[in-house]
Amino acid sequence: MTMPVKVTKRLRPDIWFDRHRYRWRELRLLVFVALFLLLGFFQLQVAAAVQTGKALPTNALPPLDAFIPAFGLIAALVVAHLALNILAPDTDQTLLPIAGALSSVGVVMATRLGPDLGRDDLGARQLVFVIVGLGACILTVWATRDLRWLRNYKYTWLAVGLVLVGVTLLKPSNFNTDSPSRDVLSIGSGGLAFQPSELLKICLVVFFAGYLSENREMLAQAFYRFGPLKLPPLKHLGPLIVMLGVALVLVVRLRELGLALLIFGLFLSMLYVASNRPLYVVGSLAAFAAGAFLALRIFSYARTRLDIVSSAFNPGVANDAGFQLVQGLIAFASGGIFGSGLGLGKPWIVPESATDFIASSIGEEFGFMGVLALIGLFMLLVYRGLHVAVNARDSFNQLLAVGLTAVFALQTMVILAGNLKVLPLTGVPLPFVAYGGSSLIANFVIIGLLLRLSQRNA
Amino acid sequence: MDFSPLGDLLTNPLFLLRLGFVAVLYLVILQVVRVSRLEMKRAAVAPAGATRAQQVVGYLIVIDSGSTPLIPGQRIAIEPLTTIGRSPTNTIVLDSTFVSTEHTRIIFRERSLWVDDMGSRNGTLLDQKPVAQPVAVSPGSILQVGDVRFKFAAP
Repeated sequence: MTMPVKVTKRLRPDIWFDRHRYRWRELRLLVFVALFLLLGFFQLQVAAAVQTGKALPTNALPPLDAFIPAFGLIAALVVAHLALNILAPDTDQTLLPIAGALSSVGVVMATRLGPDLGRDDLGARQLVFVIVGLGACILTVWATRDLRWLRNYKYTWLAVGLVLVGVTLLKPSNFNTDSPSRDVLSIGSGGLAFQPSELLKICLVVFFAGYLSENREMLAQAFYRFGPLKLPPLKHLGPLIVMLGVALVLVVRLRELGLALLIFGLFLSMLYVASNRPLYVVGSLAAFAAGAFLALRIFSYARTRLDIVSSAFNPGVANDAGFQLVQGLIAFASGGIFGSGLGLGKPWIVPESATDFIASSIGEEFGFMGVLALIGLFMLLVYRGLHVAVNARDSFNQLLAVGLTAVFALQTMVILAGNLKVLPLTGVPLPFVAYGGSSLIANFVIIGLLLRLSQRNA
Repeated sequence: MDFSPLGDLLTNPLFLLRLGFVAVLYLVILQVVRVSRLEMKRAAVAPAGATRAQQVVGYLIVIDSGSTPLIPGQRIAIEPLTTIGRSPTNTIVLDSTFVSTEHTRIIFRERSLWVDDMGSRNGTLLDQKPVAQPVAVSPGSILQVGDVRFKFAAP
């Protein structure tokens, strides 16, 4: 009888740090992010001096205290960079700097807007959120060494997400308010409010990726024919339709238009990538159009939102329901090409200028060139995400990367279009830039997942 | 100030500071695009070198993948000269901290496969015994490299 052989010798790591695989490109990119932060905080000083009429002392360096947040964030980014060198040296080197640059813009804007909004600690809090987010990113990279762990528990993730959102349904104050941008899905109050909807996004993407990668052959084939339509077996389409139903319930019960749009967009993009059949997209869009038409007929709040978009500049609307939107547009316009300069504009006139209307604050102070740079960064983020998807090892990883990238792309488009009066305004945060902890941390978790997915043999 | 000509603006140090501030964001964008282009070039070159037809003289079947992303049961081809290690230059790359950069070498000579350790930190074990000098292996032998275990199979 043979005994099961145990490894008696305890294994020691060969090395922790590989010089040949050091992430030089990432470090190089982070230097520019650091430069941006230092310049930003320097300019805040200059602007404060201009506003108060006192000149900066020319014979001395600007006071160092004001740069502490910048140094803090730079240190956090460098620590994350070093941690990635140890945990996952072979992963994408551009994702962390892009996310770092975007969240640096967010921290600079929160620091700038805080005093004018009567919340002096806004910048400091945003900084803490970013640092916690970076920690969450590294933790995610560490925890997902084995991605099968995510795939095997896909129904668990779905349940976790739905339970978290279900909890918010218990709060009666969540119903029957007409403000377009409030944190409907929040637990807790005051400083520690947590929005489970941010986690729901990630859970849903993992579920969709797991489900679609298992059933992609089935979904790509046609079984039933209805005239020109070919449909796969209901057994395989069913769970997906149930998920769409849940999204619809969210709209109806919670009036959370932005989240529903996001879930629907996610579903569409991932279904298309999994099945490679445009028919699904066309069919779902038709269903969406029908649903939107019905919603306009039945729900008055849906019509109100659309009315704001179509007639924002009517005097009755512009001073009432459309005030925020119109002020946001005026802020964009007053920025011109070069902007008023950081700290020299009046972006706080727009309600929610640090959260939903952060883009109009940036448009006013950085002008067209600033908004263009911001959109460029978001486009690169999406490009790198899809790059990860193209090089992914198997269909689960690929779908996961596509879905996670789509979260960024859809959120950015929905909120920017809302700010620019192209779509009805919804309370979706601009990824990494808008003030808010739950969203930032969730976005950094997504960056962590994308980093792990970008590993060549992940 | 709002309607002053551009010339005035450009001599204003504050305005230059504002421009520089946003310019750094564009520098980040440019650098990311540069990195992406470099990666694309490398990806375009790589497959040409990788497509070399090699004689397969046996297989390694993964038994225990340790901390690498290998899947137990996976079959990996053995070439006449196969190197195993953490460095990407190896024939079989094992991404595990317990595996040395160049850990183990498998050579095909005299119609047999030979296993040799390349001076690794955790050593190479063949059927639980440390490999100190080249050892001939037979199908069914268990090879342990760091925290990864393989079984030899005939071609």
